[in-house]
Amino acid sequence: MVQKIQLLTPNIGVVYSGMGPDFRVLVRKSRKQAEQYHRLYKEPIPVTQLVREIAAVMQEFTQSGGVRPFGVSLLVAGFDDKGPQLFQVDPSGSYFSWKASAMGKNVSNAKTFLEKRYTDDMELDDAVHTAILTLKEGFEGQISGKNIEIGIIGSDKKFRVLTPAEIDDYLGEVE
Amino acid sequence: MSKSTVDLPPKGGFSFDLCRRNDMLEKKGLKPQSFLKTGTTIVGLIFQDGVILGADTRATEGPIVADKNCEKIHYMAPNIYCCGAGTAADTEAVTVEAFENEKFVLYCRHGQLTAAITSLPYRSRIKSCYSTDTSEETSFQAEFHNFQLNYQGYVQAALVLGGVDVTGPHLHTIYPHGSTDSLPFATMGSGSLAAMSLFESKYKEGLTRDEGIKLVVEAICAGIFNDLGSGSNVDVCVITKGHKDYLRNHLLPNPRTYVNPNGFTFPKKTEVLLTKITPLKEKVEVIEGGDAMEE
Amino acid sequence: MSIFEYNGSALVAMVGKNCFAIASDRRLGVQLQTIATDFQRISKIHDKLFIGLSGLATDAQTLYETNTITSGYQRLVFRHKLYQLREERDMKPETFASLVSAILYEKRFGPYFCQPVIAGLGDEDKPFICTMDSIGAKELAKDFVVAGTASESLYGACESMFKPDMEADELFETISQALLSSVDRDCLSGWGGHVYVVTPTEVKERILKGRMD
Repeated sequence: MVQKIQLLTPNIGVVYSGMGPDFRVLVRKSRKQAEQYHRLYKEPIPVTQLVREIAAVMQEFTQSGGVRPFGVSLLVAGFDDKGPQLFQVDPSGSYFSWKASAMGKNVSNAKTFLEKRYTDDMELDDAVHTAILTLKEGFEGQISGKNIEIGIIGSDKKFRVLTPAEIDDYLGEVE
Repeated sequence: MSKSTVDLPPKGGFSFDLCRRNDMLEKKGLKPQSFLKTGTTIVGLIFQDGVILGADTRATEGPIVADKNCEKIHYMAPNIYCCGAGTAADTEAVTVEAFENEKFVLYCRHGQLTAAITSLPYRSRIKSCYSTDTSEETSFQAEFHNFQLNYQGYVQAALVLGGVDVTGPHLHTIYPHGSTDSLPFATMGSGSLAAMSLFESKYKEGLTRDEGIKLVVEAICAGIFNDLGSGSNVDVCVITKGHKDYLRNHLLPNPRTYVNPNGFTFPKKTEVLLTKITPLKEKVEVIEGGDAMEE
Repeated sequence: MSIFEYNGSALVAMVGKNCFAIASDRRLGVQLQTIATDFQRISKIHDKLFIGLSGLATDAQTLYETNTITSGYQRLVFRHKLYQLREERDMKPETFASLVSAILYEKRFGPYFCQPVIAGLGDEDKPFICTMDSIGAKELAKDFVVAGTASESLYGACESMFKPDMEADELFETISQALLSSVDRDCLSGWGGHVYVVTPTEVKERILKGRMD
């Protein structure tokens, strides 16, 4: 099964908007980067460091000869010593830290929606609900566990992609 | 990494910069150095529900005991552990290397767990994406095998690798030159003969967990007491399907007996010529506040 | 003679209650001839992290040194500064030990002739000490670690003199006595001692008087 949400390390996950094959290249590069960091320091790579490394790769591809820039924007989510973090990385190589963000075709509506609904003290369940509602905005067709993906990470520091059954449970709660 | 930053440290691989100088020094009559060795008795056996690994905890440097309680059973994967004997740095590096290489495969298993894969061809190095709920340890073994072959025995690590996967319990030994064995019971290291003598006389198929642990402990103790390179305590690791118990310092047959209960106290007599006191600064905590930035 | 005995050295680190001490001798010799009696073997990485490098002095300096024009990438201080800039934090002692180990193992087949001793205060000021052989096999200890030509006598002295949970002042006396008595039984090290005692609030650096023969 092809998945849009991928793990980079056990505590960092990533999702993309754009070209799938480009994303896979980036995932492979960043996993390698994370392993190298781990190999050197025997410590999991901090989210900020990994994001910076990914962004550096993407920047390089805007400037090198014979290559084209990556056709993807990424959302990188992770939990480390500094707590939960969410980053957006753009093809230019610029990256931003967010409390909540969206990207893709329906970005402006989604962001407006998130701005209204987001609060600092959300529980994980509330966050999943908000995410689902945001996705629902302008979703073509019926939303179900089979046509969306959700990845979560809590203070257990284990990034996990929800199973379709779990997503269906959440969808039931939202309605 | 970007090509512009020439000064950045290289990532991975050995560096041979100092070899010529060191050879020169050796030719001038300076003795080559000795490295930290694990000395070691390491053993493993298959029992009715899985695998048991055992190790002593002494590290030596020549005749000196460098560490009285070191760890020789290394973590490879949730269902796989590995005992190392030989040059300490090499056993560490070799296990880490194989682990890292294998990790890439493991990433592919998050999310949906599809049908379990059957055992990979022996000695293969297939790193394709396969989904399984337990990582396949024959491929680990292949990884080691390859590492050892690449370095032609110069990397001095002898390993006992044990794990339980979908195909059942496995126990392998890997020699410094890269040859491998699959056995129901195995020993390695300088105390291997002492340990093997116990296995040879007492091992039988279908041991229970308790019998297995007892035999492993006896074998390690044989190494501890009869081999000078091995000593101190017994570490045991029991791996069964879906479960493992790492019993660190399972047995402490050599407690310290010569401790002065009051310890030594020294009057403040050491002659100090100069004292410099540097107070350390309080750590400044940054508290986030203010308005969030607009996009 | 082994190349490790060319210059002579003695290094020891001990753990106390929320503090640690790291000490070295002060001699630099060329085999049996003494060249200097104020040699520094212990260097600071950051306020709460110290490294001592025993063995061949030239290699120790190459590994550590900062202020040479040809500063290369192996240099520990360089690597730490790079980390500080990149991650905006100091390295934890455990992390630094792994870094040193990786740097040494890179030269597995042509090693630096030094054996490091690392001591630092980690998260929540938990003391950490560790030593390695010249190719980076880490040896973590809860009590004390030693290195150098006087290591054999240091093992003995520390084994009997060390006790757990010492306060900073007592720790200083113990490590100093262990060091001085050990170097007196080693021709190649001695000429006083250099002791750092680090607590969460301050670093006390002391120069010890020792035998001059």
